[in-house]
Amino acid sequence: MVPLAIARQTVREALRRRVMWIFLICGVFLIALGPVFGFLSPKDSQTVLRSLGLAAILLAGLFITIVTCIYLIPVEIERRTIYTILSKPVQRFEFVLGKFLGGFAVVFINIAAMGVVFLMMIRFQEGKVPVDMFKGVYLTFFQMLLLAALTIFFSTFATPVLNFFMSFGIFIVGNLGSVTDSLTTSRNGTARLAGTIIHYLLPNFSNFNIQNTLIHPAQEITNPDVFIRQNILYALIYSAVLLILAVIIFDRREV
Amino acid sequence: MAAAISIQGLTKKYVDVWQKQEVIAVNNLNLEVEEGEIFGFLGRNGAGKTTTIKMLLGLIFPTAGDATLLGKPMGDNSVKNELAYLPEETYFYDSMTGWDILDYYARLFKIPEPERSRRVQICLEKVRLQPDAWKRNIRGYSKGMRQRTGIAQALINDPKLLFLDEPTSGLDPIAHAELRDIVASLKDEGKTVFLSSHQLADVELICSRVAIIHRGKLLKQGTIKELVAGDFAELVVQRRGLSDATLGKIKEIAPGTEPGSAENMRISVAEVEKINAIIDIVRGGGGSIISVVPHKRTLEDVFVETVRKEDGS
Amino acid sequence: MQKAIKKLPASVQKRTAPMAALVVALLGAGAFLQAKIDPVARKIHQSEQSIDQVSGGLNNEFMLLPLLGFREAAAGLLWVRCDEFFHSGDYDAILPLVRVITLLDPHAENVFVTGAWHLSYNFTDSNERSDRRYIAPSQALLDEGIRNNPAIPDIKFEKGWQNFDKTKNYTEAESALKDCISGPFHNEKGVKGSDDFPFACPLKTLHLLAHTYEKQGRIPEALEEWRKARERTESVMKEDEKNNKPLNYSNKQMWFAEVHNYDEDLQRYHNRYTTVKHDSINPSNPPQPGVLWPTGPGVANQPWDVVFTPTIEVKRPKVLRISGRFNSADGARVDVRITDWNYPERPLVDIKNSFKVDMSQTILVDSMAVRKGAFDRELDMSKDPKMYSFSQPEYKIVLSYNPRTTSPHLTDRFGWSGEGITDGNKGHVYLDAREPLLGTALIAGQGATGPIWDGVTIPWAEHTQPVRMIAVTYRVSRAQMMGEKPITDADMVPTKL
Repeated sequence: MVPLAIARQTVREALRRRVMWIFLICGVFLIALGPVFGFLSPKDSQTVLRSLGLAAILLAGLFITIVTCIYLIPVEIERRTIYTILSKPVQRFEFVLGKFLGGFAVVFINIAAMGVVFLMMIRFQEGKVPVDMFKGVYLTFFQMLLLAALTIFFSTFATPVLNFFMSFGIFIVGNLGSVTDSLTTSRNGTARLAGTIIHYLLPNFSNFNIQNTLIHPAQEITNPDVFIRQNILYALIYSAVLLILAVIIFDRREV
Repeated sequence: MAAAISIQGLTKKYVDVWQKQEVIAVNNLNLEVEEGEIFGFLGRNGAGKTTTIKMLLGLIFPTAGDATLLGKPMGDNSVKNELAYLPEETYFYDSMTGWDILDYYARLFKIPEPERSRRVQICLEKVRLQPDAWKRNIRGYSKGMRQRTGIAQALINDPKLLFLDEPTSGLDPIAHAELRDIVASLKDEGKTVFLSSHQLADVELICSRVAIIHRGKLLKQGTIKELVAGDFAELVVQRRGLSDATLGKIKEIAPGTEPGSAENMRISVAEVEKINAIIDIVRGGGGSIISVVPHKRTLEDVFVETVRKEDGS
Repeated sequence: MQKAIKKLPASVQKRTAPMAALVVALLGAGAFLQAKIDPVARKIHQSEQSIDQVSGGLNNEFMLLPLLGFREAAAGLLWVRCDEFFHSGDYDAILPLVRVITLLDPHAENVFVTGAWHLSYNFTDSNERSDRRYIAPSQALLDEGIRNNPAIPDIKFEKGWQNFDKTKNYTEAESALKDCISGPFHNEKGVKGSDDFPFACPLKTLHLLAHTYEKQGRIPEALEEWRKARERTESVMKEDEKNNKPLNYSNKQMWFAEVHNYDEDLQRYHNRYTTVKHDSINPSNPPQPGVLWPTGPGVANQPWDVVFTPTIEVKRPKVLRISGRFNSADGARVDVRITDWNYPERPLVDIKNSFKVDMSQTILVDSMAVRKGAFDRELDMSKDPKMYSFSQPEYKIVLSYNPRTTSPHLTDRFGWSGEGITDGNKGHVYLDAREPLLGTALIAGQGATGPIWDGVTIPWAEHTQPVRMIAVTYRVSRAQMMGEKPITDADMVPTKL
């Protein structure tokens, strides 16, 4: 209940931030740019529309998630409203959870908005909406969910600027899944250790990059539904880890 | 009467990481605040007032010491239902209306509708925020209106114990007076108010008891009456024509009286009866009173005196 | 900077340990899940080469996007850029892009196909002769594409096509096309929604394989392939009819073509293997213009002497006039191949980082038409120094006639393996045993005993005949290519292909 009230307030506040709208508009604009490449062969223009659309959602979603979630907690401290909240019967974990749910909802609204535009574009261009494209949109959403949890985790102890670089940095490292995966079997002991730690302990964002199979109809994953369910479960588990860590830190934070 | 706040040995220390020096923000604070009183917590900026309040509310954690609020250990979540806090210089969510802000805080207390709307309205009325401003964006509020919203926010749960941090600072005289009256009226409702302030005149007017804190140390506490005790009147009496017997009588009442100069002598006494008695003696002895000047000690006198004495020592 | 010294509330202290334990447990679950995800993720990004390998040549801004999961989008945008270059004719700019795109998106089959086509066909000299140095990287790119996308028929088809059309390596073409037809596919029915559904590979694969068999002289197999293609077309038409779809006339056209080609193959089978003795002249055929057909009893049952007499005149540096007689019907072509003496037959290429070719290499492949028993052609290589640098000390000039790649009417006459052709100069006859001729079975009910080679009937089941080519090879120096010294018959060396 209390987290939901905080989440509701967080969404209202976040939706009023101009910077989020700028990224959203950029994202939609990029998606709308897809059909411009209709001069290519039908197969190529389909590939470009799909890859560009999914990339636009990912890119805009990435920035929206980071710029939104980075400020959710620090701004309450800066405005001192956190004193009024935590002096009420609000547990700190409820506050963190509320902020996370709020950020999560904002990300959902944005990705859903871009997803709808994207799927409409696909409908317009290809005459139908393949299920794969829908999968692409919601896997990006879960990737962003994980990023939101990461950013909120950092925001419990880091300044927004520091947070931006840390979240972005981990996002990049987490996207090197194929590199860290190959490091886990490296012959060099140090590299193997580092690769294993990074691959299994840090959030692995590359898990969600299955655009390739979605863009190329001929590429298929064996058991795609199981794979996608595993990825969603991974996002949820890892978000829970980050949120619990955030609570452990925030419990100790002097505000 | 039970203690609304009971503080024992509350201490907050910081370590300067670079200089490896300890900084003491609050030093072994002991304090009792009775239920139903408006307690003034006085100190200069940085004296440790806000740090103390934050510790009591569980926003920061003490280095040592303990406290109970309304009989429960500080930081206990259950007691927070009966608490309220108005921080100093709070910038509320300025894209929201006054009504929405109160509605949000009411939700944090899990107050359901329609009770929630009723509470919001009662609180906004109590702080006398003009109804036409209720649904306006808070960005357009004056400082006074914001501060009213802040107090309304603190009242949303009908708390038993309120912590108000400088609620009247920076306001115009009228708003100042109104808010002071609102705070004063809380006492009539049986609420306990822990008022942190350096607006000494206000404190003197509305508080029953005060404590003075300086550099984290409690210097003095007591009723206003106790602290400002030491009022006196100075009588200037024509000495000529007064017999030694008369002088002796006067000295009996005011032992510290010095014969003074040839012309006049000054007599200092605190009690009205004694003043009257001396006047009677002087006039009965054929002397004349030149003047009776009352000397009243204010809280400010006490505060400045106390703080200077501490700094001097 | 100040650090608070604090005593945490008991409630916080109490819940820390269980929360930490929960974190550890969840991390374990996450790692377990990761291990489950990894094999599939590996497959998705399966590529024998990693984008990191070319990162040295790319600037960091460019690398960032791919790192963040925008690989496909980056590849798509670069492909758009490529398209512009195709339109503007900026062909050199395309190659690095193709390399990067195929590394970014190892499943961009279009890029593999188009890139390989571009390499094989679009680099030419001023006389539209292909730069053959690009064939090897083109094939390597196709091979990489096939390894990355074993289930995609398009790349295999392109490999088949290039070997059929460009390099005339029918053995390679056959294996690529067979590979294309046999899969592996995601399922037997191919990709739903693709043009070929419910078939895994395009119909043209079957057609091209049939043509490949024809080129190899394996008529029975070609016939079988035409039959399969026709059946497939018929099944598509039947399905349409069942679903009350209007007749798709292109299907009908396909059907006609398949029937016609089947028929034509059968006719050639008769011409080449049953009714004609290849080492004798079919008196029913009138003499070709300019060709003196032998008459009289003494010359029967002898392979036909083409009296190949080439001369090479270097008119200016790098400008060769090749002329002479080749006594055959019009339509025959004499192939010319000028290379560095040590030009590798199968150049090893490393396309890891780029498709660069060795600019010091020289190779020209062309052919000369025979008219009225003669040929005469000027090859000007002086205008394209980039292609024909002639920076090696020695060169090989091979002039050859291959009975297999020549026009069908000549094959009809001289036989699939050149059984009916010879040259009075025995040094000009070259038996090419490189490509094994697979045995061909007799077609039941079609007669024939097998081809006759030098008067001997070759048993059909063991038809592993080397190709009888007419060829001469010159070994010449750079100075000769530059016209400083004439090229004469004395420069001829035994042919070895």
